[in-house]
Amino acid sequence: MKRSALDGTQQTNFIYLLPGLLLYAAFVFGPIVAALGLSLTSWDGLSVPKWVGLGNYADLFSDSRFYIALRNNAELMIFYCVLPLVLGITLAACVWNLKQREQLALRTFLFLPYIMPTAVLGIIWAWLYNPAFGPFNQFLRAVGLGRFALPWLGDFNFVLPAVGIVATWYFFGFCMVIFLTGIQRIDPSLFDAAKVDGASARKTFFWITLPLLMPEIRVVLLLTVIASIKSFDLIFTMTRGGPANATLVPNIYMYQLGFELNRFGAAAAIAIVGALLTFAINYAIHRLVGSRSKGVA
Amino acid sequence: MSRSSNIPAAALFLRLVLWLLAFVTITPFLLLLLTSIKSKADVLKGAFALPAYPHFENYVDAWNAGHFNIYFWNSIIVVIPVVAVSVFLGLLTGFAFAYLSFPLRRTLFAILTLGMMVPAEAFIIPLYYEMRYLGLINTYAALIIPQIAMSIPFSTIFLASAMQQLPEEVLEAAVLDGAGRFHILRKIVIPLMIPAMSTLALFLFIWTWNEFLIPFILVNDDAYRTLPLGMLFFQGRYTVNTPVLTAGAVIVIFPLILTYLVFQRRFIAGLTAGATK
Repeated sequence: MKRSALDGTQQTNFIYLLPGLLLYAAFVFGPIVAALGLSLTSWDGLSVPKWVGLGNYADLFSDSRFYIALRNNAELMIFYCVLPLVLGITLAACVWNLKQREQLALRTFLFLPYIMPTAVLGIIWAWLYNPAFGPFNQFLRAVGLGRFALPWLGDFNFVLPAVGIVATWYFFGFCMVIFLTGIQRIDPSLFDAAKVDGASARKTFFWITLPLLMPEIRVVLLLTVIASIKSFDLIFTMTRGGPANATLVPNIYMYQLGFELNRFGAAAAIAIVGALLTFAINYAIHRLVGSRSKGVA
Repeated sequence: MSRSSNIPAAALFLRLVLWLLAFVTITPFLLLLLTSIKSKADVLKGAFALPAYPHFENYVDAWNAGHFNIYFWNSIIVVIPVVAVSVFLGLLTGFAFAYLSFPLRRTLFAILTLGMMVPAEAFIIPLYYEMRYLGLINTYAALIIPQIAMSIPFSTIFLASAMQQLPEEVLEAAVLDGAGRFHILRKIVIPLMIPAMSTLALFLFIWTWNEFLIPFILVNDDAYRTLPLGMLFFQGRYTVNTPVLTAGAVIVIFPLILTYLVFQRRFIAGLTAGATK
């Protein structure tokens, strides 16, 4: 990198860097390192932590509840990542050649859930899903589908999709907006050329729009995957992981082990596994989606 | 049927579907608003039935019973310093990463981005004990300081990349005129950064206002709860009284909807700039 005209001596440069970095080190990076250390101990929050090495991790990987949590998280990724991605990209392709005003209005409505606090959304949806007086079941009864009116958040089979749909609702407008900017970045002459060549809308989408949107697809996947692994607020306010572990995810399990059972070492181990999982998936997305986009563009 | 008459019909149908979807998306909010002005008896008539007259007293009840006077002010007391200090520190750190040389630059940058990927859930336990050791549990500082620290990676990266797009010649000219760096930062860089800074401030406002985990774990005294937390405890007590519960939810999300509608263009532009960088 070329030296900027503003560069000075290293001591004076540090004046700019130090306040932010110190605060970050003390309240984010330090605790991350401490969580790593804590995960290697057995600790009840009161007595002196006891070193157990990788014991917590060994326990986790022979714990059937942890596997249930991981499997639930994997299933939730359909609702957190796949559905918003597919819906978002389809909608972006439909919306982008509408008139500016109509596009803006649709965008405003579809994006609205994304700015809301997920904890409050969980509370709102718990009410919508209420079996007795919730609007969702009332709507089903009103349109003659009363036999499908279920106690959604209490039903072992339907609770995971019921919670998942909320995540899809939360994310798909956000995905659409990112894809819309992506489409606007694409050189319009490519679309014109396709039109001249007589390509159908579907062909244009699969051969021009989709391949050129790979960078945006990567970003969307990355953000939604991270969101799915850190999912806590929404599930905590709707089901707390129940019924019978049907919506248990690692972070809810971590909360139960740590703040309800005072097994802080085991809880920290779950947190670290979650962080490692995020890195691994992040790396995989960079390798898979990243390299392909380079090949095309 | 000829192709030319077929296409407008298909386009019209598509637009109809899009608007229907938009309507379905905001339906939860509309139902929330409708239910919040009903009486308890109206609720029993059905979720979609209109009340005879609007019962605004639900809002008064929710505000009083839900301690919203406390939670609302707490949210404001927390969000203002978090946004102001985060933008200020982001400017300094961003300035360093944009223009200055220092050892371990790449390592420090990697450590910063780590903080954007690792969720707060992963380090909340050590953070809780650190705050307890510092005697900050159940104080405003517990709500403010960690949120500033958590926002530093995004603020730094967002502002550094915006600063790198400033014309280098302007800065060089100022250096040649003999202006000091603090002076250049204050008189030249900051004025040029106003749009980026206000977008960043908007994001930090929404994220801080919506934060759940930090106040949930680091504060258990009612006097320091913020709005999303207040809503959780409010839910516990008012599950049966739906109109008052929904009025409470409207109170919590109303400032967000207002902010969003006022700044929505800037919001979306900033979001995509921040996300795809």
